[in-house]
Amino acid sequence: MDRFTYIVGGKAGEGVKKAGSAAANLFRKMGRKTFEMDDYQSLIRGGHNFSVVSSSTGDIYSHYMKADLVVNIDDRSYEIHKEHLKDKGLMIYNSGDTEDGEGIGIPINDLSKEYSKSDLIKGVAGIAVLSYVIGMSKDELKKVIEKEYSRGVEENLSFAEKIYDSAEEKIDQKFELDEGEHDLPVLSGNQSLSLGATAAGLDMYIGYPMTPASSILHFFAANKDHLKVMPVHPENEIGVANMAVGATMSGARVMVGSSGGGIALMEEAMSLAGMSESPVLFVLASRPGPSTGVPTYTEQADLKFALNQGHGDFPMIVASPGSIKEAFYLAGEMLNMVWKYQTPGILLTEKHLSESSMTVDLNPSKVEWASPKEFEGEGYKRYEVTEDGVSPLKFPPSEDVIKWNSYESDEKGITTEDPEVITEMHDKRRTKAETIMYDLKEVNTVNEFGEDGPVIFTYGSTTMSVREALKVGDIEAKVVQPVYLRPFPIWDMEEYMDEDVIVVEQSSTGQFATLLREKCRIVPKTVIRKYDGRPFEPKELAEKLKEAIR
Amino acid sequence: MSDELGTGAENTWCPGCGNFGILNSVKNTVKELEERGIEREKLLISAGIGCHAKIFDYLNLSGLYSIHGREIATIQGMKFANPELTVIGFGGDGDAYGEGLSHLVFAAKRNADITMIVHNNGNYALTTGQMSPTSVEGFKGPSTPKGSIEEPINPLMMMLSSGASFVARGYPGKMKHLTELIVEAVEHEGFSLVDVLQPCVTFNDTYEKYNESVEIIEEPAETRFEAMELAVEEDRVPIGVLFKEERDVYHEKIYPEFNPVKDKINKEERLKRVEELLDGSE
Repeated sequence: MDRFTYIVGGKAGEGVKKAGSAAANLFRKMGRKTFEMDDYQSLIRGGHNFSVVSSSTGDIYSHYMKADLVVNIDDRSYEIHKEHLKDKGLMIYNSGDTEDGEGIGIPINDLSKEYSKSDLIKGVAGIAVLSYVIGMSKDELKKVIEKEYSRGVEENLSFAEKIYDSAEEKIDQKFELDEGEHDLPVLSGNQSLSLGATAAGLDMYIGYPMTPASSILHFFAANKDHLKVMPVHPENEIGVANMAVGATMSGARVMVGSSGGGIALMEEAMSLAGMSESPVLFVLASRPGPSTGVPTYTEQADLKFALNQGHGDFPMIVASPGSIKEAFYLAGEMLNMVWKYQTPGILLTEKHLSESSMTVDLNPSKVEWASPKEFEGEGYKRYEVTEDGVSPLKFPPSEDVIKWNSYESDEKGITTEDPEVITEMHDKRRTKAETIMYDLKEVNTVNEFGEDGPVIFTYGSTTMSVREALKVGDIEAKVVQPVYLRPFPIWDMEEYMDEDVIVVEQSSTGQFATLLREKCRIVPKTVIRKYDGRPFEPKELAEKLKEAIR
Repeated sequence: MSDELGTGAENTWCPGCGNFGILNSVKNTVKELEERGIEREKLLISAGIGCHAKIFDYLNLSGLYSIHGREIATIQGMKFANPELTVIGFGGDGDAYGEGLSHLVFAAKRNADITMIVHNNGNYALTTGQMSPTSVEGFKGPSTPKGSIEEPINPLMMMLSSGASFVARGYPGKMKHLTELIVEAVEHEGFSLVDVLQPCVTFNDTYEKYNESVEIIEEPAETRFEAMELAVEEDRVPIGVLFKEERDVYHEKIYPEFNPVKDKINKEERLKRVEELLDGSE
């Protein structure tokens, strides 16, 4: 069997997410490629959470919502996931919570009762059942548990064994999964972009918790001694962004991150970074908005917000990765960009990419080390007018006086109201924006997948959904994914101007389609939108694409 | 007058402004610090927005002219990135006790190794004299033509209850004393705040009031609570170090012996460590 999908569902506090990530690792060990999507609610206990893990021997860019195996830890999960079972799929329910279910009942409640963490341990049942039905031995399961559930390992082993025995007694059906040839790390999008920035020389990450960006802060906090990237968690997002600006003046490569609401609070500092020419990299991980919106779900409705950050005229760079792998390289590239041009940049992503996990093949040595143009010689002037608009940097301690300024200032950084100097400095920043645009023509600003067939425009995490949909639907098409969104790579768009293109995005008003119309007169024939907080499902999307192409 | 600590920028404070005394104290502080081994090259300054902040343009020192209230965050970023630098922030009462209040409280709480000098003139002078967080009840300004209906906050009480490890109050009318306070504040390892009673000759002239009421205290209070008692005195206004204690500083608790900028791990080693995480990722 090539493609295999496993769903595990239950209440928050029942170890569901862990039962998902442990499964992803298990498939990885079989040499398979995996994609894991965690669907969870904004609560700590109760409710309904589930993880979907799809895996294959070949490339896979999305989870599927029709599963071969569903393990339900509570009755609500069973009711919800009935519709997610494939025709010949195997449904496992908790016979202690669901009466007369269809499928196979395992007495998860009875078996977990005796353990100290009788709720949290239930998730182990997902892994134990999965291990059994894909033909793993008890010894192999033991190894998995020891690795994945090392905290309180004795109880976990004992419980896993009981579930395995119960599965052996009750389940006839087994799945024979093909082994793959890969041995790739499983990373979430947030881990991937964090590591990419780290490989580019990141020195500090400053963040205030906000889903779906919080796990970036957690990553750097957990790895602070190993990576020596200083994690700082200040009082609020305003503190975050302003600390970042200050840290860049000392010479630190800094990244900050939040979701829409937090970035809104950072916007004042974004403009400060534009004026003072501070190289701060912002990560904007979107959730459905407006306002608090739906914290733990996905949407692409912050595109216009990202593109129009900050009051006043200043150059800014916005780019969005189309895969978890690209998040790694693009984070590194963006850190380079902001330092090269001394201006703020936004790495725009969404919950679906930030918090989903997949196997990725990465080569860190391909990431450039972010280094600014440094000043040499005498008579330092912070905002020296240069041909390309970029003034060389100098860092303290220095005998030269280095003055950065939020006010309009002269070349030395002293506040000015002089009309000529104001004009000159505006021109300097505008020149810099032109330099960025000019240089970007040499950079890969647009990804294309496929060569023939109708043209499909998409960006960000939706790119993964589109690629998987084309694969599963056996659709021949050309996918165009702009990686850079500001400056928008119009120079690569000419050939699509009169084409009947299809746009796929996750926003209710079609922000991306509007951008294409505004920037390069691409008028989409069809805009496929989804805005229920859930990512596209590949098979459903394939149907929609077929309809649009017809 | 040749002044190597000046920039030549035209000074636009009102004649007689309390800010002149603060500027001179800071210049004297820099010279004194140099004698004590803190090099000028390692000093970084920042300022908020307002009359006080013009000091940024008048001091020939490196730094970043920040935005309203955010200078407190700016200097923390500068310090955490490179702890070998000494950072001084200038704020007005509107900056530090209003717009940037949360940054100030948390800088004190985490004992960030920074110095904040607050030019407390009891009004928003640069925007034509509106009431500020420290304006007295009844203060008349363009936004409160019939007098402020709010009670002022007591910044020193607030700082003491936020865990500040160094709290002082100074007065530009006692310039030598103010210089001594700022020197001590900068040398203090950890968070230090100097609230400076700055007369605003145009909108809130307090020279007469403070000339009569300030009284230098020679020793800080023994305890935080005793310092609070000093902070609320009204008939006489105690100036000096009200409270001082030794406490571990924030950046050293994160990295006891690592300077993110100076000790930055080289590319090769960094890539190795990234690879290690990738290999170990499960």
